[in-house]
Amino acid sequence: MKQLCLKLTGYLALAGLWASVQGATLFLGGYPSSLLVFDEGKGAVVDKIPLTTGLPTSIRLSNDKKTIYVVTNDHTGIEVVDVATRKVTNHFVLNTPTKRYRLNNGVTDPSGKLFYTVTIEIDKLVDHFDIGKPKYTIIDLAQQKIVQTFDIPKEDEEANAGAYGRGGFEISTDGKYLYQFRDKVVIFDAADFKVIDRIELSQPDMPGMENIGFGGQLDSIGEPGQHVSLFNSSDPYVHNRVFGVAHFDLQTRHVEFTPIGPSPAGMTGLHVAPDKKDAYTVVSTGALGNKRCEFWHFNLSTNNIVGRNEFACRTRFSFGISGDGKKLYIYGAGFEIEVYDAATMKYEKTWDLNNDVTMGGLITLE
Amino acid sequence: MKHIRAVNRKARRIDEIVLAQKAAASQPAGTEADVIALQQQQQQRPHVPIGCTLSFSPGWEVDSAGGTAGLCQPVERDIYDCYVTCFWPAQVPDHLNNYPDWANKCASATKDWRNLDLVTP
Repeated sequence: MKQLCLKLTGYLALAGLWASVQGATLFLGGYPSSLLVFDEGKGAVVDKIPLTTGLPTSIRLSNDKKTIYVVTNDHTGIEVVDVATRKVTNHFVLNTPTKRYRLNNGVTDPSGKLFYTVTIEIDKLVDHFDIGKPKYTIIDLAQQKIVQTFDIPKEDEEANAGAYGRGGFEISTDGKYLYQFRDKVVIFDAADFKVIDRIELSQPDMPGMENIGFGGQLDSIGEPGQHVSLFNSSDPYVHNRVFGVAHFDLQTRHVEFTPIGPSPAGMTGLHVAPDKKDAYTVVSTGALGNKRCEFWHFNLSTNNIVGRNEFACRTRFSFGISGDGKKLYIYGAGFEIEVYDAATMKYEKTWDLNNDVTMGGLITLE
Repeated sequence: MKHIRAVNRKARRIDEIVLAQKAAASQPAGTEADVIALQQQQQQRPHVPIGCTLSFSPGWEVDSAGGTAGLCQPVERDIYDCYVTCFWPAQVPDHLNNYPDWANKCASATKDWRNLDLVTP
């Protein structure tokens, strides 16, 4: 029996070692029009999924982690990629010769049939383009067209009007509630985009950061129905801005916000390691040539900062985390991923993708 | 509008609308500036025209402060985001409206910039 236990322990250890050597698979949007498949274990691009509708500007993983939804901007296209076969199973464009649309990001309902987003419609007229107001939009992926649009209330227009940087959406596991994370958190009824609640928590800003609302929210807790990230909050009297960790239960609309300290000038969202305890963000101070960046390490059990380390950040970059949560990635604005050890937050190595990546984000799959 | 003069009818109309909006927004009731300790005036930034191919000084691209300190290094790292989103004012074609195929033969601008298409507007 003892021998059997020892053997079993050995097999388990080997399996764990094999998994860590193998690493996770990363999906990134690549120029000019492909989805790059990167193997963490090999440290190399192992596949390129060609996209027929153009340049990927947003990639998003479904809740069941079987499908990736890609938004392309050449002709405002959507492509649906099956993760297992790495094949495009559905693709279409919204633009017509006389109509163009702008859309950044969105989220699908749990069944993967409907895509919720914000679009701006542009009509090509004889002598000019008529640019419409942003509208909440439902796209039917099977019918490959917009099936419903909803006017945006006046008070929410500005936050949804920017060409880039609109807050991204999340959805509850039953598909009833939509959440938009921006200068505040707005909760909608998914059926008609009626506002159910507004929560005065704002997403932190990060000038020069490439997380500008394209893909899913920067929150890799990877648990459907949960959203954990950093938010800023300001009191109504002296307007003191503090940042903290907010835990959202998307199903029950329950929010727990734990303030931590004064808001830094720039801060990304939060990447949560698979242990659900360790989480990381990038904080920046200064601008342009004086910019300085630090990794901040949080303990989510106690909601406090347990470590910080300055690193040489690029002017623009995106922030990611490895599948096992042991490496931090700085990538974007170029063809490389810089790898940092999460425990020490020190630089380790650089992976050359031989391909520029877009601002669409990074999906990590075990 | 101090530095740019409207020369056609459409531009004059835009000028009028902007001036009217500014006048309306100057002192709307109930929105007077709050008194805040250690208030700092925001530093004026150069009026660099936004958009692809509009800026010709000092180089092919400038940052929001009119300089180059905020740009990526090497500058080729910035080419695609200028091309796709006109992130900084830069001398590159625009992806969305006129030149969607400009970068089709070039996966990495820093390494293969010679493969970028030639544009003759």
